Amino acid sequence: METLSNGTTASPTATATVVSSATVTAPSSKLTQLAESLKLEHQFLRVPFEHYKKTIRANHRIVEKEMSAVISSVAEAADGDLSREDAVQHLNSLVSRLQGLKRKLEEGSRTEHLQAQRCRARLDHLESADTESLSEWNNTRLTRILVDYMLRLSYYDTAIKLAESCNIQDLVDVDVFHEAKKVIDALQNKEVAPALVWCADNKSRLKKSKSKFEFQLRLQEFIELLAFKSSTECATYKVLFETKQWDYLVDQFKQEFCRLYGMTLEPLLNIYLQAGLSALKTPFCYEDDCTKEDPLSQESFRNLALQLPFSKQHHSKLVCYITKELMDTENPPLVLPNGYVYSTKALEEMAAKNNGKITCPRTGSVYNYSAVVKAYIS
Amino acid sequence: MELNTIKDAFDRVAKKQKLSTSKSQEVIDQVGHEIEQALANIQSIHDSASPVDQKSILAELKTKLNMVGPHNQLEGSQKELSINLSKFPKVLDKFFNPDISKAYRNVDFDPHIVNQIIASHFYREGLFDIADCLINEAGEPELISLKSHFVEMHRILEAMRTRNLEPALNWASTNREQLKQIGSNLELKLHRLQFVEILQKRGRADALNYARTYLAPFASLHMDEIQKLMGCLLWAGKLDRSPYTELMAPSHWEKLAEELTRHLCTFLGQSYESPLSVAVAAGVEGLPTLLKLANVMAAKKQEWQAMKQLPVPVDLGKEFQFHSIFVCPVSRDQGSEENPPMLLPCGHVLCKQSITKLSKNNTRAFKCPYCPLDASVSQCRQLYF
Ligand SMILES: [Zn+2]
Repeated sequence: METLSNGTTASPTATATVVSSATVTAPSSKLTQLAESLKLEHQFLRVPFEHYKKTIRANHRIVEKEMSAVISSVAEAADGDLSREDAVQHLNSLVSRLQGLKRKLEEGSRTEHLQAQRCRARLDHLESADTESLSEWNNTRLTRILVDYMLRLSYYDTAIKLAESCNIQDLVDVDVFHEAKKVIDALQNKEVAPALVWCADNKSRLKKSKSKFEFQLRLQEFIELLAFKSSTECATYKVLFETKQWDYLVDQFKQEFCRLYGMTLEPLLNIYLQAGLSALKTPFCYEDDCTKEDPLSQESFRNLALQLPFSKQHHSKLVCYITKELMDTENPPLVLPNGYVYSTKALEEMAAKNNGKITCPRTGSVYNYSAVVKAYIS
Repeated sequence: MELNTIKDAFDRVAKKQKLSTSKSQEVIDQVGHEIEQALANIQSIHDSASPVDQKSILAELKTKLNMVGPHNQLEGSQKELSINLSKFPKVLDKFFNPDISKAYRNVDFDPHIVNQIIASHFYREGLFDIADCLINEAGEPELISLKSHFVEMHRILEAMRTRNLEPALNWASTNREQLKQIGSNLELKLHRLQFVEILQKRGRADALNYARTYLAPFASLHMDEIQKLMGCLLWAGKLDRSPYTELMAPSHWEKLAEELTRHLCTFLGQSYESPLSVAVAAGVEGLPTLLKLANVMAAKKQEWQAMKQLPVPVDLGKEFQFHSIFVCPVSRDQGSEENPPMLLPCGHVLCKQSITKLSKNNTRAFKCPYCPLDASVSQCRQLYF
């Protein structure tokens, strides 16, 4: 608690709430744990909904625009002096324009329907999570998290393959990122046009979030223009800065894009890995005899965890060296005369197999089972 | 989780969307109808010399369209839809954690390392195509070296899924000595499975032959087991009605596949569970607590970014308990090399520093704070978990 109590701003009562709620969730049933984990799925529902909303708005704009065009076209004709033939031709063209609009509307409503179905599929998927079949559901969650990572790093083929192999296309946002791909590809080819179109499409939302992205695009366009038709000096400048500058624009775009769809700015994988590695990180993970089952026994995970905090324990948690099982009141720890501690289960089994003799696996010393004593850990 | 509330909110959106679409269709039809009507009227004029007529028809059309008021009609349905569209995200915000990156520390993960972890995960899961695809797309050709480990493993397991034990048996016989060292009788278990399979599919003579060749070497150490299997021979063709019917259970295959996988992983120097799955699962379990903590600490963002240890415990299930952690019940300090756990004569365990304090710097006997039995420092023994 040192970190919190030293501070001046965080109130001690608030801290106490966290501690007590954390302790309350400790022995919590699998059910409450599942409910807690489902609350993390905001983005899972938000993204397809934003997509749906966007389609609805776009379709509506088309209808509105076409409608006013038709109405004002009639008004114009009424105010003008058309011959009978011209009037017929004019009205005919309006009729076919309306037919075209109707087709578009039908097409648009099919897309809307599909996207609504996707939203429902996700709600159903969340509902399907129950403690009985959790391991399969958890595997799907990991796959979803990995697809999200692939999409954010623009590994589209891998993302699509992975989603297909697990048959979870409705549960991942490949379609949404398809829109991003066009812009990113263009930016990587040093073209700003598709990004500017994207900005225009999302003008009001970008304005609301006070985005500077469009300005940065215009600026880049301007720099390009300068470098293109001017001296070598400028060209050198361009070469020096441009690669970085374009990468920067891609990053900016990705951030704006994620914000617009209600996604976290970081890949989900990074968020979960950070939380997991912090919760797992103990000084023992870095010892040579760290078990392989601990992800932090691996260099790669250790490296990622380097800048993360260690976990904290309020109570002892002892794991039997032999069976790797928890030593608790049901399987209490026993102490050999040399001070090494093993679980009751492990030593009982060993004694039964070897006529009551115990061999300490770490020192090789041999004792009688009668020589062990119980340790009380509170 | 109030999923039904969320579903209802979504259904309202979808309903309004449908209404809005049919409204649009209706308005288009209305306008289209009026225009077609006007068109027919113009075409039915016989006296083509009079321009007044089409002009008045067009004027009438204009008035009619104004009466239809397509804009107002569209706006009305759109407004209702809009209200529901902006309501739904609020429902989501209420039931879900709107920002799970709140507990995120701003450190950059090296994408090469993350890619390596993912590729390795795909290989161990047998998703070779996908791993290759990732390596290709991410431009990390050197990661292909992770593949070789798992190719053989999946070949063996894949064959076993089609009830072909050949590769598994080969592996077990190649690694016979090492398996023996860790006290595993995997090879015998594989042969037993093969024997039962042969007895069922090819009959008594083949099974007997198999037993002579492959089971005989195990006879000295596992007499009971071998005798039982010989007993099966009498029941060839009707094993399902024999006292040995249990030997046919498909669960034997699953269990042995799992045991074999464990051994394969161990011998490859790999964990049994995918480390990526473990770390992410721990994250899912731990994140809710971390988010609560981050909310409390919101005013101290810098501290959050810099702390060396989490200020509260994040309790994970026992499947994530890889190390023995001793916390002294008196000082709440975590045991370490400098401050190890000590066993008191009464059986209670305290850390060394607590004992030093209780004994006034190791100068006198003290009472155990838990059972109040007397103890002296010399009676306390260091423990190794
Ligand atoms: Zn005591």
